[in-house]
Amino acid sequence: MHIHKDEVLRYLGYRHQNIDENLDRLMDTCIEETKQCVQCKYVIKVFDIEKDDKHIELLGSRLIFRGKDIINHLQDSNTCAIMVVTLGNHIENKIKLYEKTNLTKAVILDACATTAVESLCDEVQKEIEKQANSRNLGITHRYSPGYGDFSIDIQPMILDTLEAYKKIGLTCTKEKILIPRKSVTAIIGFKDNNITTKYSSCKECSKYRDCTFKREENFCGN
Amino acid sequence: MGIKDILKTKRLFFDGAMGTQLQKRGLCAGDIPEIYNFTHPEIITEIHQNYIQAGADIITTNTFGANELKLEKTTYTVENVITKAVNVAKDSIKDMKDKYIALDIGPIGQLLEPIGTLSFDRAYEIFKRQVKAGAKAGCDLILIETLSDIYEAKAAVLAAKENSDLPIFCTMTYDDTGRTFTGTDPLTMVMVLEGLGVDALGVNCSFGPKEILPIVEEIIKYASIPIMVQPNAGLPKVDRGKTVYDIDPCEFAFYAKKIAENGVNIIGGCCGTDELFIKAMIEVVKPVPFVIPNKKHITAACSANQTVVLGNEVKIIGERINPTGNKKLKEALRNYHMDYILNEAILQMEAGADVLDVNVGLPEIDEQKTMIHLIKEIQSIIHIPLQIDSTNKEVIEAAARIYNGKPIINSVNGKEQVMKEIFPIVKKYGACVIGLTLDEEGIPKKAEERVKIAQKIIRTAQDYGIPKENIMIDCLVLTASAQQSEVMETIKAVGMVKEKYNVKTSLGVSNVSFGLPDRQLLNQTFLAMGLTQGLDAPILNPLDQGMINTIHAFKVLSNQDKEAKKYLQEYENRKGEKRIIEKVHVHEKDLKAIIIQGLKDEATKEVTKLLETIEPLKIVDEYLIPALDMVGIKFEKGDIFLPQLIQSAETVKNAFGVIKDKMLQDGDCKISKGKIILATVKGDIHDIGKNIVKTILENYGFEVVDLGKDVPIETIVNTTKEQGVRLVGLSALMTTTVKSMEETITALKESGIECKIFVGGAVLNQEYADMIQADYYAKDAQVAVEIAKTVLGSSSIDI
Repeated sequence: MHIHKDEVLRYLGYRHQNIDENLDRLMDTCIEETKQCVQCKYVIKVFDIEKDDKHIELLGSRLIFRGKDIINHLQDSNTCAIMVVTLGNHIENKIKLYEKTNLTKAVILDACATTAVESLCDEVQKEIEKQANSRNLGITHRYSPGYGDFSIDIQPMILDTLEAYKKIGLTCTKEKILIPRKSVTAIIGFKDNNITTKYSSCKECSKYRDCTFKREENFCGN
Repeated sequence: MGIKDILKTKRLFFDGAMGTQLQKRGLCAGDIPEIYNFTHPEIITEIHQNYIQAGADIITTNTFGANELKLEKTTYTVENVITKAVNVAKDSIKDMKDKYIALDIGPIGQLLEPIGTLSFDRAYEIFKRQVKAGAKAGCDLILIETLSDIYEAKAAVLAAKENSDLPIFCTMTYDDTGRTFTGTDPLTMVMVLEGLGVDALGVNCSFGPKEILPIVEEIIKYASIPIMVQPNAGLPKVDRGKTVYDIDPCEFAFYAKKIAENGVNIIGGCCGTDELFIKAMIEVVKPVPFVIPNKKHITAACSANQTVVLGNEVKIIGERINPTGNKKLKEALRNYHMDYILNEAILQMEAGADVLDVNVGLPEIDEQKTMIHLIKEIQSIIHIPLQIDSTNKEVIEAAARIYNGKPIINSVNGKEQVMKEIFPIVKKYGACVIGLTLDEEGIPKKAEERVKIAQKIIRTAQDYGIPKENIMIDCLVLTASAQQSEVMETIKAVGMVKEKYNVKTSLGVSNVSFGLPDRQLLNQTFLAMGLTQGLDAPILNPLDQGMINTIHAFKVLSNQDKEAKKYLQEYENRKGEKRIIEKVHVHEKDLKAIIIQGLKDEATKEVTKLLETIEPLKIVDEYLIPALDMVGIKFEKGDIFLPQLIQSAETVKNAFGVIKDKMLQDGDCKISKGKIILATVKGDIHDIGKNIVKTILENYGFEVVDLGKDVPIETIVNTTKEQGVRLVGLSALMTTTVKSMEETITALKESGIECKIFVGGAVLNQEYADMIQADYYAKDAQVAVEIAKTVLGSSSIDI
């Protein structure tokens, strides 16, 4: 597990301010602590899909995706993988503890954990890519409930379909908040390597003006 | 013969998987398997009958997820599903003798507070419906299985016990760390579940029978009741999009035999197993001799994921959460300042406390409400076990019920009435209890008489079914200044109680020195005297380094700390200790510069120095507030970023702490520019942002009533009304919970309370805030301060 400091800084809203030695050291400590606390777990499941202009049906399951953004995301795919990942409760608990004793550390640790879960997603994505490659296919980027018009109401169905509770202890609340909190569900399409998809950049996002997390280059992925 | 009796005479075989069997027969991923009871009863019957023919004694109903939350999406009720499933099972058994039906109860599927948002009471109610339906339909036992949260298991077991007379089996699932997903280890599981009075406990699912063995071996070390194991058919692998398990019936049976030989009396299969696995298993396991589990007599207190075993070495019970003689704690309790109390908890844990005593007995507060709230709060951030300390039986019962783990109850004594009130609670919740050697006649002078009371307590407890290992005797410490001749009687009594009854002992050590100078010296000496007599768990102040030193030293001298390993670790490093300290770049230690740089320790020192010559309020007005303003401007201009802002805010908080202490010492004045309620709305659990706002508002002298996260609408409305608060801040991070924010705002407005509401959180903006009718939108903590100043005024500090 690699936790890039630059990414942690991005989540903290860093804009090239001067960082003194104390804060820099605190960040290093937090990164180390995060690495020790995370309990990385994931489940991947691959589905063939059937599409019309309004729905995507995942065969062999009861999952149906709706919304133009997810349809767009899977426009070149006949197969997709769903991944669910979590860092577990331990890191969550650490953050809660520091909220009481050292809020600065809690905030940094929270950003480290966010970076860590993204980093775990990258690893899982590679695994999915391997599976796609074995079918002579490539993959799209990952797309999660909550992006665009893809509602997070789908979370419980995704979790049930992947038996996420039993396999990795991942649940969601009535309000569709994933618990443990540092968890992600995402959908990756398998697609022909020859098709190039143009990814959005942060500048095209509706939240570009207000977003604290925007990247200078490329796309934040969210 | 009932199942409870059978457990004493023979091994019982359970069936194998239901879910994977249904998948084989067409169940889709994400389908609700319980519907098959109605749509395909013949398939369920076939699965049951296959297992019976394979030789299983007990079949499990197809009701794993038959709880009201999971069935919400269907047209069936819990009662419909469970009645039907039990009937299908009954039909499958027909008139066969010695075959039994287990009502299957799986996890609810949502995590309980504090990790999730489902309350313990709600979880209890959910399970209660399942238990009642199952008992009514005529199942023979209740199987609570595949749980990973011991708190959820407690809710389920209590629901089963309080709503049926059926035997209860409970198994949990573990991952490759040897713990459940929520962090419970086998020892903790055994201590908690045995305490709650289940009839069998163990492990299911998790892994194949080979990988599950180490967990089974752990459980066997600690369990005194029958153990149940249901492994998967090996480890799952994905083959052409399908999950398959990697071992065959023969291999399964081979390891099942090993499991049985270890002393497991109830055995079956989980995911991936079918009737062939069960048949093979029964054939191989049947000849293994049946052994009744022996009693282990472990005295232990547990949280959800940590167990403290008493007896092997001295354990420290921290005494600081107790308002008696503690002005600051009293103040915190009266004002519901949980953060102060939580910090006391954390400090004690960090100083080496193994267990924390929790006493909130103040006549002017609602003891029960406070106790429950505090226990939940402490358990949400630290994992050492707690000791429930109260004289009120309702408080003790309510606390023991919601406690996550196995608590210690402090206390009972030799008075008939007290034992009659407290022992049933101790028994029901499987707690440990401290027995004080006093009775209707008071505290006896002589050791012998105290030992007699101890005997009475131990015997009476046993009449209630409380085993000796759950009792700790406290021979009571008297002060050397008033009852000098009796100090040695206490020490003598400890030795006698240990020798005669072999129970664990506790003592409130520091009482001995009341009224004498240099109390530490007396306390330390007395502690050492007690320890030599076999004192297992002194109750003391862990922040008193002298006491901790004595214990470290005693552990070496009594051969508890083998090869003085811990001692060396602790004391050898101290010589050349090089603590990393904050680097100070300020040449002149100006308080403002210290704050801007966020040097917390420096700020404390500097304020203490300033207080010698300058009035507290002047420091606030002339140093702290201007520094804060400056930090705020820097943040807004982008000269500093979030962690730096918070660091400065925490530095001011520390400085404020020193000033508040000074003011408390000088008289009863208080700094307050007005009260503000802060809450993360119902359904939302993100509170780090809210906590940042809180810290900064408090720094500006506003008094913040922090209602926490996932706060019900009525709590916010009622508190606002009761405390006459004029500004309420609400936080929500998710689009789904902004709805709940809107409802809270509507409720506040409809209640007619004259208050302003500001909102904040990642998904909000001014437009959204207007839409949900908030009065203000705070994009960050600095804006929140401006709002507070506008609404409450920034006039000079009220005293």
